[in-house]
Amino acid sequence: MEYIYHLAVLFTIYAGLAITLDLVVGYTGLLSVTHAAFYGFGAYATAILMTAHGFGFFPSLLVGMVISMVAALLIGFVLSRFKDDYYALVSFGFNIIVFSVFLNWQDVTRGPLGIPGIGKPELFGYTFSSTLQFLFLSAVLMLLVYGAARFLVSSSFGRVLKAIREDEKAISVFGYNTKTYKLVVFTLSAGMAAIAGSLFASYITFIDPSTFTLNESVFILAMIILGGLSNVRGAVIGALFLILLPEILRFVGFPTDIAAQMRQVVYGALLIGLMLYRPQGLMGEFKL
Amino acid sequence: MESIVPQLMANSIIAGGIYALVALGFNLIYGATKFFNLTHGVIAAIGGYTVFYITKKNDSLASFFNQSIGGTVFAVLIGVLCAALVGYLLDKFLYKKLRDRKASPMVFLVASLGAFTCLQAFLAILFTSQFQTLGGGAGDIVTYTIFGGIITEVQAIVIVSVVVIMLVLGIFLKKSLFGKSVEAISDDEHVAKIVGIHTEKIISIVFVIGSAIAGLAGILVGYDTGLEPTMGMGLLLKGVIASIIGGIGNVYGGVLGAFLLGFVENFGIWKISGEWKDAIAFGLLIVFLIVRPQGILKR
Repeated sequence: MEYIYHLAVLFTIYAGLAITLDLVVGYTGLLSVTHAAFYGFGAYATAILMTAHGFGFFPSLLVGMVISMVAALLIGFVLSRFKDDYYALVSFGFNIIVFSVFLNWQDVTRGPLGIPGIGKPELFGYTFSSTLQFLFLSAVLMLLVYGAARFLVSSSFGRVLKAIREDEKAISVFGYNTKTYKLVVFTLSAGMAAIAGSLFASYITFIDPSTFTLNESVFILAMIILGGLSNVRGAVIGALFLILLPEILRFVGFPTDIAAQMRQVVYGALLIGLMLYRPQGLMGEFKL
Repeated sequence: MESIVPQLMANSIIAGGIYALVALGFNLIYGATKFFNLTHGVIAAIGGYTVFYITKKNDSLASFFNQSIGGTVFAVLIGVLCAALVGYLLDKFLYKKLRDRKASPMVFLVASLGAFTCLQAFLAILFTSQFQTLGGGAGDIVTYTIFGGIITEVQAIVIVSVVVIMLVLGIFLKKSLFGKSVEAISDDEHVAKIVGIHTEKIISIVFVIGSAIAGLAGILVGYDTGLEPTMGMGLLLKGVIASIIGGIGNVYGGVLGAFLLGFVENFGIWKISGEWKDAIAFGLLIVFLIVRPQGILKR
């Protein structure tokens, strides 16, 4: 049972990441592969502030969001000059640059050694220490993210985003400043991704740079492409499937180290298959 | 203490040489197909691992290939052919289908990302994730000293191959009918087809040549430093960066960009940790994309 709770916590964290990435990739049509960097900002903010500066979980979460949003503003500003595949390539680059910072700024992040001993969240004297209690907290936070994303995409703001995706020139003729819209959605998405990072740091109690690599960004991207772009529910289903995939593979009987590689094979093959036969994913409304 | 500048120069040229090999093939394929072929990196790794399999892993084959220098050359040739074959198959069974559907560059990017992930995981399953080397022990490495910088025999081969391949490819593309066809496809695939160019056949050949060069790059990296299944992404990204800053679609531009990248990377870490290399490389790319997006040499 404990193990199922563990998977459920991971699922809520990744669902949050997938939903927030979908705002950028699915709704606005910007193929960003930097999401793990924002996830990492949240995680590192929580880890550093809680272990070294005596912050509580919730204040550290807010600081993480702010740091992530400021970084997103800068990164998004540079990215706004590019389109399509160049956009993707430059966003690759930012993920690698941020990863290098986590790895090399050793005075603050302890580099490859990672940061151990991160505390559990505490609210009004109540500590979320067991997995089930943590699941409750992460589920609530992720429902908030889900709700915020749903609200965002159904608002007039969301409609402008979709219009940018379909035809940026046309919508700018109507007087919408598309650059600002793209920057705002990128920043919001990064801020919410930081929540997932804070949760992850506090849940696992240890983080190191290897969690926030380019591969992680690709993994999150695979979730939303599988579930279907431009569909919040699709993102959740994609996250669920890819979180359960290693368990399914283990159930089939692969040894653990091969199962880890088989997971890569399966999701690589899924990406190929989807691009060949169903580029909008399982339930998406937008084809890349 | 001697100055480290000569060694930094040597290191820059060697790194540039490896990047140039990756960029040459990548640039050729990009010129004809206009998409970021991410599988290019893993094809390099496949070339390296093929040689690893026949000279190290499989004992009966190894005793055959390790007899003489000719055996090693033969093994390298097989590695190159294997890489070319994988490139050909990927084009035939994946990219051609996407081309027929007129898929957007982003679909190509994601599909090649999927293929990349798959192939890389296969390599890890077959050969484990451990670091493997192709060359012999450290004792029998032949080195040369040039202007105070030390380079090994393999590294000298890298430099020579880059120059030879660049010149052959450059002249071949300029003079032959094949080269003119590639240029026509690059300008407008549809019109090229209308005027009677077998576009699919030409693109197929482009994939074979490009992948063969990538395979050679992977093999030389294997002899120089070593192989690991994840080496592909690093090589690929450097090749892409080199192509873009040099001028994408331009044979000489890619090589020029590769050497520039090699120098900036190696001199960039003069005073700081070597782990920053990748960040420096992407920093250079972003600066170029903002200031001079067409690269050093325009096509």
